[in-house]
Amino acid sequence: MTQSRMIGAAISLLLFSVALTACGATPVAENWPGLTVAEGMVAAISGSPQQVYLLDAKTGVQKFAFKPQGEVRGTVYWSPVTVSGELAFVGFGTLQPRAANLYAFDPNTGQELWRVPANDLILPAPTYADGVVYFGDSSGRVYAVAVESRSVKPGWPFQAKEAIWASPLVVGGRVYVSSMDHRLYCLDADTGEKLWETELGGAIAAQPTLDAARGVLYVGAFNGQVYAIRADSGEIVEGFQFKANGWIWSEVLVAEDRLYVTSLNGKLYALDPSSGAVLSPYPYDSGEIDGRKDSIRAAPIKAGELVIVATKSGRVIAVKEGQRQWYWPSGTPQASILTTPVLYEGTVYVILMNGNVQTLNAETGVPGWGFSPPGR
Amino acid sequence: MGITDIWTVFILRPMLNTLLGLYSVLGGQFWLAIIIFTIIVRILMTPLMLPQQRSAKKMQELQPRLQELQKKYAKDREKLAQEQMKLYREAGVNPMGGCLPLLIQFPIWIGLYQSIIQALGYQPLQLLGLSENIYSFPFLQTLWSEVPLNRYFLGMDLALTPQQLGGLTYALPILVAFTSWLQSKMTTPPGSDSQAASMNQSMMLMMPLMFGFFSLSFATGLSLYFIISNIIGIVTQGFISGWEGLLFWRGFSLSRLLSGGGRPSPQKEAKPTVEPAAMEKGAQSGSAKQRKKRRRKR
Repeated sequence: MTQSRMIGAAISLLLFSVALTACGATPVAENWPGLTVAEGMVAAISGSPQQVYLLDAKTGVQKFAFKPQGEVRGTVYWSPVTVSGELAFVGFGTLQPRAANLYAFDPNTGQELWRVPANDLILPAPTYADGVVYFGDSSGRVYAVAVESRSVKPGWPFQAKEAIWASPLVVGGRVYVSSMDHRLYCLDADTGEKLWETELGGAIAAQPTLDAARGVLYVGAFNGQVYAIRADSGEIVEGFQFKANGWIWSEVLVAEDRLYVTSLNGKLYALDPSSGAVLSPYPYDSGEIDGRKDSIRAAPIKAGELVIVATKSGRVIAVKEGQRQWYWPSGTPQASILTTPVLYEGTVYVILMNGNVQTLNAETGVPGWGFSPPGR
Repeated sequence: MGITDIWTVFILRPMLNTLLGLYSVLGGQFWLAIIIFTIIVRILMTPLMLPQQRSAKKMQELQPRLQELQKKYAKDREKLAQEQMKLYREAGVNPMGGCLPLLIQFPIWIGLYQSIIQALGYQPLQLLGLSENIYSFPFLQTLWSEVPLNRYFLGMDLALTPQQLGGLTYALPILVAFTSWLQSKMTTPPGSDSQAASMNQSMMLMMPLMFGFFSLSFATGLSLYFIISNIIGIVTQGFISGWEGLLFWRGFSLSRLLSGGGRPSPQKEAKPTVEPAAMEKGAQSGSAKQRKKRRRKR
């Protein structure tokens, strides 16, 4: 190669490296960690490294780990774990090759038991009800897998027009599914037949919440609105209206005749369940701690009189009647929190974007044990 | 406000929201939004690109005289440099004139690239990033309802790479490389000496190959943008300096291309295509048509 050609090649490489460096702001194609606490056990899954850690809920000591058998290469996508008795379910998939499976494993040993292939990545947690596991994938399919036969039930999968990013809600023989195609579907839990569908004004990435007393489903959408929908017919409840100044990605919390909802504009709202009116002194702005705009992806949880939220900047905040009661950490946060915290026996469990798990006393916010994935 | 914030506020967000607005207006067709958006950006950048394209044209016209100077002062590099600069001054050409507009354009291309990639987001973290950059002004909140975007064009998912899609989509990187090469062929002035010519030839080959190679692992939506952008560049250059560059098969030699021999054969090198006197007159106003006439006359 002549000297001039080498110079030409070097300049080309330099230009491209500059371009690629500047383009480094491109979002990394991964999802956020999953956290499940059930039956004395914490199941934590994150991207570093990509496996499910099964911890003792009281001590944080790792008991087992689960990783799909066989070599997994490239970026791995997963769902949060669902634990039901002697079985735990989790979705694992890769983009290249495009492959995903629902895995069933023993939560007491971490041993893989069986797997069922899906058409695309499984991002939301599977839902277990009456011997059937329901889950959606990124191609818009909703599956019902009979645990006994380890196969997809007849009449399933159901096909939506866009990805399913929310766990199906299974109540009273019906499956309610939110889809990124702006629709909420109601399916027969046994046959997979569509009972109704309702088109809303934005993509829905959160599971609907059923207010059984009212027979109303509440769900938020990317257009910033919360909708009230009759569970039996799918009709939108007239007179209920709420719009936040940011996308709504989280589940609505129904508690004590109120609705609590968070928005990506960093606010926690308390709403009247009949009208959707914001109840004073809400909204609470999570940006008040650091004096700058924050964002809340995770859903609010209730702990006694407190409503607890986790923010993208990495803080956990307990709020009562629109006023902050405690927050964690007091110093600079370690990493973002996008996963909804879990309340279990008086303790708040939090998983950070770096895969670390932290426990906090629900009443005081005092930190308990923490867990960092080994080898990260 | 840090550099990243300035970049986001002044480059990325306006571009991204314009792209989404076009998507909304054009009936939810992202491929169409990319095409129209690319055309708009190219039109807005015309004042920046014209000096570069004109400079390329003038440099092409000066080649015969530069080659003469090279022959004349082959043994005196210093004198050669002086005479070359004198020639540039006389012809009103700044040999570096094309660089500054190119540098200014660079951040715009990167912003465009980022906004396309962000708009095509189809995984949770990507959409979370998108949510932070979509304007929340009440009159623009209708854009929120467009998410997720319809990414399909002729059955092809514009958010996936040719490697993921396979089949005919492998034609896209080839088209990217080809249009990119054709565009550089039309805009790159031949070097005034053998070293510059060889370097130009290397760049002309390396850059399109790299674009093609990277297109293999970039979203196909970006390939669509590259192709449209290159075609607009080719057409604009064609209007400025003629369409001869499009006849790439004339005198095409694969072996010469691969050996990096951008250098013309000695016979061609010695034969100026434009007479110096005519060139001096026509340097500012010579069109492709006029050059053809002159050649015919000779």
